[in-house]
Amino acid sequence: MVDTAASDVVSLAPARADGQMAQLRQGIGHWLFLLPALIFFIGYQVWPIFRVLWISFTNFEYLSDKPAQWVGLKNYIQALNDPLLWASLGRAALFTLMFLPGTIILPLLLAILVDRVSNQRLATLYRVILLIPAVIPSTLIFVLWKWMYNYQAGPINHFLVDTTGLFDLQNAPQWLGGTPLTLPSIAVMEIWWGLGYHTIFFIAGLAAISKDLPDAARIDGASEWQVFWHIIRPQLAPIMMILVVLRFGTAMAVIDEYLIFGGFNRASPTYTWTVMMYDQAFKLGLWRQGYAAAIGMIGAVAMMAVMVLLLRIFRPKG
Amino acid sequence: MTATVDQQNAQPAEVDKSWWQRNWGAVLRHAVINFFNIVILLPLAWVLMMSVKTLPDSLRGDFWPRSFDFTHYSYVFERIHTLPVNLFNSIYVTAATVLITTICAVLAGYALVHIKPRGAGLVVTALLVSLYFPVRVVSIISIYETQSALGLINNTSGLILPYITLQLAISCLIMRSMFQLVPHEIVESARIDGAGHWRTLWEVGLPMVRNGLVVIFIVNFVAAWGEYLLCVTLVDDEAKRTMPVVLAAAQGGQGQWSWPNLAAVYVIVVMPGIIAFTFAQKLFFKGLMEGALKG
Repeated sequence: MVDTAASDVVSLAPARADGQMAQLRQGIGHWLFLLPALIFFIGYQVWPIFRVLWISFTNFEYLSDKPAQWVGLKNYIQALNDPLLWASLGRAALFTLMFLPGTIILPLLLAILVDRVSNQRLATLYRVILLIPAVIPSTLIFVLWKWMYNYQAGPINHFLVDTTGLFDLQNAPQWLGGTPLTLPSIAVMEIWWGLGYHTIFFIAGLAAISKDLPDAARIDGASEWQVFWHIIRPQLAPIMMILVVLRFGTAMAVIDEYLIFGGFNRASPTYTWTVMMYDQAFKLGLWRQGYAAAIGMIGAVAMMAVMVLLLRIFRPKG
Repeated sequence: MTATVDQQNAQPAEVDKSWWQRNWGAVLRHAVINFFNIVILLPLAWVLMMSVKTLPDSLRGDFWPRSFDFTHYSYVFERIHTLPVNLFNSIYVTAATVLITTICAVLAGYALVHIKPRGAGLVVTALLVSLYFPVRVVSIISIYETQSALGLINNTSGLILPYITLQLAISCLIMRSMFQLVPHEIVESARIDGAGHWRTLWEVGLPMVRNGLVVIFIVNFVAAWGEYLLCVTLVDDEAKRTMPVVLAAAQGGQGQWSWPNLAAVYVIVVMPGIIAFTFAQKLFFKGLMEGALKG
């Protein structure tokens, strides 16, 4: 399927004149530097997407002996008629709603505060501490917080039960494992994880804003809030837009956390479209990958549609 | 009391104000920042303390151990037999991924800015779109098929191939914005002096994008060192898996995974990255500010 791109290049090869040959050789030389990246990018990102798109129109079952047959829109119709798919999309959206505001507003606040720290050493120290979670790899973050939230041995429940005595061992909160608290708990973890990185993002944006305009406004008697709202916020808008859209995308497509914290329990709030796709593709029956691919495509297209919408809404005016 | 009096005759000569009145903004600012610093550091400090607690201490909720026990670090290496293997797997896969991705990204970044073959714009667009599309999730179905066709299921080295693409697009875009900072004239004059693209890149370009290199080193290290989904899907044998999958599956508090043991392993796995980052932070921030964030 992706071969078409390659065959275009090949079809140019029997060029008539020598000049064309030289041109071609030069063209290939130009692409040589891009080749390593493109091989991996096409092989493991572009091709899989198109392959999954094709699989989604077949009755492909990975463990079955029968060859896959084209079934048209059957998988899509079946998926869209499955209430579980709608529930799973809703769960992903719910998590995104819990996660997105905190992961934009808190870092923005922190960035404005850190940006004003005039002591250079202290400012560096703050930035280093803030960025520590960003250099902890994803799974290690989840292992850490699985522990934090542990019912018996986690420090959060230790604090609530032993230190403050607000709860006892019978009614202490069950943070993870498919309870209603699971999604908010994961959202808190994700906000913690991204806090420093997003703060640095905003600090970079703030550094690009000239200090003259805010200072002049302050002398003219503008309040800090007015300075923020009328001068700083509009200039940070492009960065904020990128962050909102990118984080919307990551939040909708979360999967590792859900697998680690929630498993494959269909009633769990962590059973979102990503987990459902994975469940169908690698766990259930003969690995119904045709159906799984359709679920993946529906989820991906749905979230891409919202992202395009967000880009339109937040596009800087004028 | 003094504060209210001061406010009443508020004739704002700086000298009349108390220290607190002049500095309350700064104090509040540092207090809020440090509150978040503590929130960030506390979970990590808790694990660090856990790794040096005795077993009975580990079951109490105290932050500070009643007595210290440093034997867990040696215990986990001597008694958990798969652990050194898993650790080696992680180091091997991560090192290969970081190396290959960096090479790919540097070459691509240079080409996209200073060679500009026809169609380069299309490549940039494709890289950008891939950042917004949930590629990692959706592609797993097909990647399993590919790896199976290549005979790379249950093969640790086979993980390197999909790992390279985890952050490849962003790395290429970061290197692209780094090379945009290298003026065309410098590249041109090197070329006129007879240097090929290869030598121009190596001798002129690379030294100028050093900070960006640090950024993509760290970004790719973090991605590969902690990757879970691909490893858990493509590799079945415990001894062939990487550390994150083993840690995520460990049932804390049971058998060899007593809490202090688990904490010791966690500290061993998480510390190299944090220490490396602390040393490289100056270059890292420079790289971020120079344009990596624009990518």
